[in-house]
Amino acid sequence: MSPSEALQQELRAARPAAPAELRERVRLVVAEEPARRPSFVQRLSPRRFLLVAAPATLVVAVAAAGVIGLTRPGSPDEIAVSDAEPGVAQSESDSAGSLESGREFTTPPAGGADAIAPDPGRLQRIDAELSLRVEDVEELSGATQEAMRIARSLGGHVASVSYDATPGGAGSAQLALRVPTARVQNAIVQLSALGTILGQRFGIQDLQGTVDELARQITEAEQRVLQLQRQLDAPNLTDDERASLRIQLDEARRVLAELRRQRDGTRAEARFATISLGLTTEEVTSTPGTEDGALDRIVDILLWEGLAVLFALVVVGPFLLLGLLVWLTLRLRRRRAETRLLEQN
Amino acid sequence: MTIPVRNAHVRAAEPVTLAAAAERHLDDVYGYLVYLTRDPGLAEDLTAETFEKALRLWPRFDARRGSARTWLCQIARTIALDWFRAEERRRRREERAAPPEHVDAPLLEGLSPALEAALASLSAGEREVVALRVLLDLDGEEAARVLGVSPSAVSTRLSRALGKLEERMDAHVAV
Repeated sequence: MSPSEALQQELRAARPAAPAELRERVRLVVAEEPARRPSFVQRLSPRRFLLVAAPATLVVAVAAAGVIGLTRPGSPDEIAVSDAEPGVAQSESDSAGSLESGREFTTPPAGGADAIAPDPGRLQRIDAELSLRVEDVEELSGATQEAMRIARSLGGHVASVSYDATPGGAGSAQLALRVPTARVQNAIVQLSALGTILGQRFGIQDLQGTVDELARQITEAEQRVLQLQRQLDAPNLTDDERASLRIQLDEARRVLAELRRQRDGTRAEARFATISLGLTTEEVTSTPGTEDGALDRIVDILLWEGLAVLFALVVVGPFLLLGLLVWLTLRLRRRRAETRLLEQN
Repeated sequence: MTIPVRNAHVRAAEPVTLAAAAERHLDDVYGYLVYLTRDPGLAEDLTAETFEKALRLWPRFDARRGSARTWLCQIARTIALDWFRAEERRRRREERAAPPEHVDAPLLEGLSPALEAALASLSAGEREVVALRVLLDLDGEEAARVLGVSPSAVSTRLSRALGKLEERMDAHVAV
């Protein structure tokens, strides 16, 4: 037996035992053990809290993204664009089921034309995007021809055509058609029959306010021109005054002409609706359908949530690190103080 | 009425009530505090205080994170350290008035005078590691948890303390 083992044995043999008085005292203390169960917070250890909180946060984040993504059609970019445009008409049609602030909306394949009823009493700019799938390249060619024919037959014209196809392979065509606003519904109905609808998007912008404002400005400009002409007709003008008035008159006429051009341009815009028609032989098109759009929005929202978490970490991170450093320093100091205390006793 | 310990199934041998834990580990806590304070009377008071605190904290005791004995020893150590701090403050105050007389009280009955003297010459930090590892027979992990250090630090402290004990016993015998 080594000296150390002998020493340990002696220590164990002389192990102190609690006196009976102390035993009784402790017995009385613990006899008051309360009859309550540990609370939820008390039972929640940091590890258990993390095990519950981490998946719960993830579920909430994904669920929130899902709910928002499914209930809000239109990406934030689309909303921002339409919001930036003044005078966009409020559509009362909810038949599409996916109205975005009543301004710009995507409709499911069925009944899309109903959602784009122009108001005959007002000037409106109407834009429509239609994405169709056709069976093969032969059908693509026929549909492209037919789309151009429809536009012309309704009194419109083809603004641009882009056709890309390989014989026996895949192909696509992009057409920009201009049809009279009053016949846009008819056009949509006829164009929709050219293939399987993959997606539709309509936008109506009210131009009546703009035209009314231009008309008011034109009236003012006309009055200004008349007034200047009357002043010029006065016989007692000096040469300088006459020259100055002529300059002003020229400027007023230029403004008037510009305003008239703007008004005519706006009216012309309202006379024709623009239909962007996409034809493809592919299963998936670049224009997202309702389900694809919802998925994209969910992914977008999840990305935003991730960015928000990252931002919070970047902002809060230094404070957390500082807190950790302070905690570690205090812990070290406490340990050292304890060690010193135990060495002194 | 007693509070059931959470996850009692994890450690089948663990007492399921504080009363049972107190019954089983009272001597351990008391012995540890005797070694730590070198004052059996004070150790009694601190032991009672330990169980009073344990009563308040018992609902938070988690058997998965350590045995009841380890947990009670942790509480006992906190109580003892608080007492040491208070004692140090008191001593400082009194030293300003008059230096206190140093009294070496006998630590334990049944120890040889040489071992008694050697044990008394150790610091509280050394005595507590001897108490935990030798007297209470805690393993390295458990002792480390009580002391808040690594198991290797516990081994180092223990071997240093035992070495000092042997050295001082030899010196005592030689005198």
